[in-house]
Order: sequence, then C-alpha cells, then structure tokens
Amino acid sequence: MDAYLAAIAIVALIYILLALGLTLQYGLTGLINFGHVGFFAIGAYAAAILATHGAPLVLGFVAAAFFAGLAAWPIGLVSLRLRDDYFAIVTLGFSETVRLVITSEKWLTNGVQGIPAIPRLFSGLTVGIGAQLAVLAVLLAVTGAAVLAMRRIVRSPFGRIIEAIRDNEDGLRALGKEPARFKVQVLILGAGLAGLAGAFYAHYITYIVPDQFIPLVTFYVWMAIIIGGVGRISGAVVGTALLMILLEGSRFIRDVVPGISEVEMASIRLGVIGILLVLFTIYRPQGLMGDFSRK
Amino acid sequence: MFYAQLVVNGLLQGLIVGLAALAITLVFGIGRFANAATGDAMTFGAYAALLGHGLTGSLAAAGLAAMAATAALSLGSYALVFRRLAGRSAVALLVASIGVGFAIRAGLGLGFGHGQQLFSVPLVRPIRLGEVIVNPFDLQLAAVAAVMLAAVFGLLHLTPIGRRMRAVADNRDLALVSGIRPERVMVALWLLVGAVTGIAGMMLGMKTVVSPDLGWEMLLPAFAATILGGIGSPLGALLAGLLLGVAQELSTPFVGFTYKLAISFVVLLAVLLVRPRGLFGRIEGVR
Repeated sequence: MDAYLAAIAIVALIYILLALGLTLQYGLTGLINFGHVGFFAIGAYAAAILATHGAPLVLGFVAAAFFAGLAAWPIGLVSLRLRDDYFAIVTLGFSETVRLVITSEKWLTNGVQGIPAIPRLFSGLTVGIGAQLAVLAVLLAVTGAAVLAMRRIVRSPFGRIIEAIRDNEDGLRALGKEPARFKVQVLILGAGLAGLAGAFYAHYITYIVPDQFIPLVTFYVWMAIIIGGVGRISGAVVGTALLMILLEGSRFIRDVVPGISEVEMASIRLGVIGILLVLFTIYRPQGLMGDFSRK
Repeated sequence: MFYAQLVVNGLLQGLIVGLAALAITLVFGIGRFANAATGDAMTFGAYAALLGHGLTGSLAAAGLAAMAATAALSLGSYALVFRRLAGRSAVALLVASIGVGFAIRAGLGLGFGHGQQLFSVPLVRPIRLGEVIVNPFDLQLAAVAAVMLAAVFGLLHLTPIGRRMRAVADNRDLALVSGIRPERVMVALWLLVGAVTGIAGMMLGMKTVVSPDLGWEMLLPAFAATILGGIGSPLGALLAGLLLGVAQELSTPFVGFTYKLAISFVVLLAVLLVRPRGLFGRIEGVR
C-alpha cells in the first residue's frame, strides 16, 4: 500500500510540474498551448536516450529541460504573429508532429517499439521502497522549488508584465513594453518545466513509447488547471490532485463494478474528462480555487 | 504516370479533407470559433453510415444515415453546449469543443468497442484510363461528395436562410440590426455542418477502417485546409482540401508514409507565416 501511494504521489508530482508550466503559459500569460505533451515527450526522450547511452543521469535532466525549451523557441516566434486560437491549432499540430518524428526516426528513438530499460533513479537503494521515497523526495524538492519560483515570478515586474499581456496586450504596448520577448521567454520556461517532467517520467516508468504522448495528456493537464482555477498556482496543485483521484479512482471502480474491460474504462475516463471540460467552461470558468466574485 | 496515379488518389482524399474543412470554416465564419469536435463528429458519421450500410447495403442509405445522425448530433452539441457559451471568448468555445469531441469519442468507444470495423464494399473491376487506374467505387464516393457540395453551395447562395447565414458571417452586428434572427441561423448552420461532417466521416470510413480514433486524425489536415483556404471561405476550404490531399499523396514517395501527415503541419505554419489570410480569406483576424 505504501508503495502504491508513493507511486501515485510521484505521478501526481510529475503532472503538477506539467500543470505549473501550463499555468505560466496560459494561466498567467494567456498563451493557449495545446501542444504541452510535445515538450513533455521531447524531455522524456532526451533523458531516455542519454541515459541508455550511458550519460550521467544529471546530464539527462539538464538536456531534457534544454531541448524542450529549445523546441519552444521557434514555436514562440510563431506565436508572436498569431491570434490566440490559431496559436492553439499550431501547438496542437506541433505535438502531433513531435509524435510523428519519434515514431519515424527509428535510429534515434527506436520507433513504435520505444525505449526500454531506462535506468531508475536511486536504483542503488534496494531496501524496501527506499528508492521510490528518494525519487519522491527529489520530485517534491523540484516541484517545491518550481512553486516558489512561480510565486516569485508572479510578484516580480516580469509577472506583472506577463499578466498584463493576458489582460490587455494593446494597453501594454501603449505603455512602451514589447510583449513579444516576454511571450517567448514564458513559452521556453513552461516548456522547460514540461521537459523536466518528461525526464522524471521516463526514469520513473523506465519504458517509453510514442503512444504515451498523445494529445489526451495535454488535455489532462488542461483539465487540471481549468478545474483548479486558471492562473492560480494553488489551482494547478489542487486541480492535479483531483485529476489523480479521477484517474486512479477509476481503477477501483473496476474492482467494485465487475465486468468493465480496460478499454471500456479508458473510454469512460475520456468521456468524464470531456464532460468535465464542458461543464467547467460553461458553469465555473474560474475553477475551484479561482476568484469567486469574477466570472 | 506514377505521379498521375498519386494525383488521382489524392483528389479523393482531398475531397474528404475539403468537406471536413468546409464544416470547420462554416462554424469559424458564423459561430466564430475553431470547432475541434469536427473530427469526432466525423467518426460518429462513419459509424452511422456503417449501420445504414449494414442494414441496406446501399451507398445512398449509408449517406442519408450519416447525414441525419450527424446533423442531429451537431444540433445537439449546439443546443447543449455552444449556445450556452455564446458571447464568451473563442478559447472557451475551443476548449468546450475539445470536451465535446472527447465525449463523442468515448460514447462511440463504449457503444461500438475499439475494434476496427470495415464497410463491406463489393469488389469491382477498376477502370483503366491509359496508365491510371480508377476504382469505380471511388467515383461513386466522389459523386456523393459532389452532390453534398452542390447542396451546400446552393443553400448558401440561392436560399434566404443561406443569405442570412452569409450575412451573419460577414457582419454579425449589421445582420442582427437588419432583423435577422440569430437563433434560426445558428440552427440551420449546425444542421448543415452536421450533414457535411457526416458525409466526410462516411467517405473517410469507407476509404479506411472505422475505429473511434478515425476522425481525430483528420482534424489537423482539416484545420490546415481551413486556414489555407482562408477562414470563413467555403470555396477556399474545398480547394485547399483538394490541394492538401494531392500534396500529401505526392509527398509520400519522398518523405514516406508517416511523414505525409506532417505535410499539413508544414502547410499550416507556412500559410500562417507567409499569407495568413489564406487563398480567399480576408486580411483581418489572424494576427
């Protein structure tokens, strides 16, 4: 049971990292990134490829964040020229293209067979669930640092500017600030967080295939921040917690109600996510942790 | 001659993309948002056609079933979801449409299972035109698409409700003060969009295999064609779809089977950066 809880906590923290990245991009700056899973995939594959070729694990994490951020740079340059919903379509296309590339470039990524036997972190600790707890501790520290950094960002001049981009871009321009540079920076930062999450994911799951990086993952994260409250750091955390309850709870439903197959459960999960997205956009666009007085 | 064959294959693929893009561009022009549920609504149409085809074995019955069922679904999604979001940002509608798409796909997965299903299409001797081989069944499908397109353009340009729809697309406020009832226009729009989406889904299902993920994969090419054709331009959507279908097929010998899907993404980026109003669109709105 302890091992199970630790496992859920690890996956939850990985999703929180993803949600923090999206909060920075969409919640604070208003950039509609529908391709978050693309950056997550780049991070996971960067870490996995380096680790299976014998590079030090720390290097893999740095590379994961670096390459994810690097991929965000041209996307950021494109975003400067596009209206919000067009940018959403472009990023969705980006993440699907990333999946095509990792499926096709077998020499690098082993194609649909995926990369097996990615080393676990702290695999030296074999006693009980020591290794898992160590991973959990590291993830907690990284996520904690990310939350603190985000809080600093929100209160900094930089934070005020990106929130102004979300609220009134023309107004900001009239004040003599150029939104372009800030948008690119925010995209790279958020993508870097997603890449870091990808590295943790690869080392935790130890086996990655292209099918793990479908757009549904992006919308899991979207659902988490929409339920939690867009633009709130606490919203990202609370929303992810609820998402995990939903995803993990569905396993127990199968124990209670017999006769539901795994694929049917996948459909039910998809449906619940879809219906929740619709209901929250209609009835509670500010989310659970959002400002109750605003709509 | 090899390339001529690819062009012929691409044209049918392009008709499917063009129909899907037509559905997206109509919603974009009149409802003012990118409807990401279009792909999954196509899947719905494919399953409806599968049922109709299974019962009667006729293409016409399959087409009618796809049109009627998807039009009902489309109207339902408007009444239950999109109507309540009128006046909200395009982003809210886009997110909601993703949710609607997921719900449709989940329902199809539960109702029909995740296995792949095939239309039992009779095998016919292909027609040879010189070196180019044309499947008569493809010609029938192209005829269905042509009838659908004629109906759409006829409705848009020859009927009063079509004129009202174009008026709302052109200038919503002006249309409203001229006494056009938006509610009726929207109902007509969603029924029309549903019928187009259903036919597109049926054609896609007949050319490939039907599974709950069928339509989602078409979403990106359809968006790309919408933008290439110019947002809100039905003719542009159709031509861009044909162009994209042919480009995808022609690119296959050079970039391989998997990467032909990425062609849409490249086209999408190129159009947005170089000529954001597309082939026939107006300049406003993209940036």
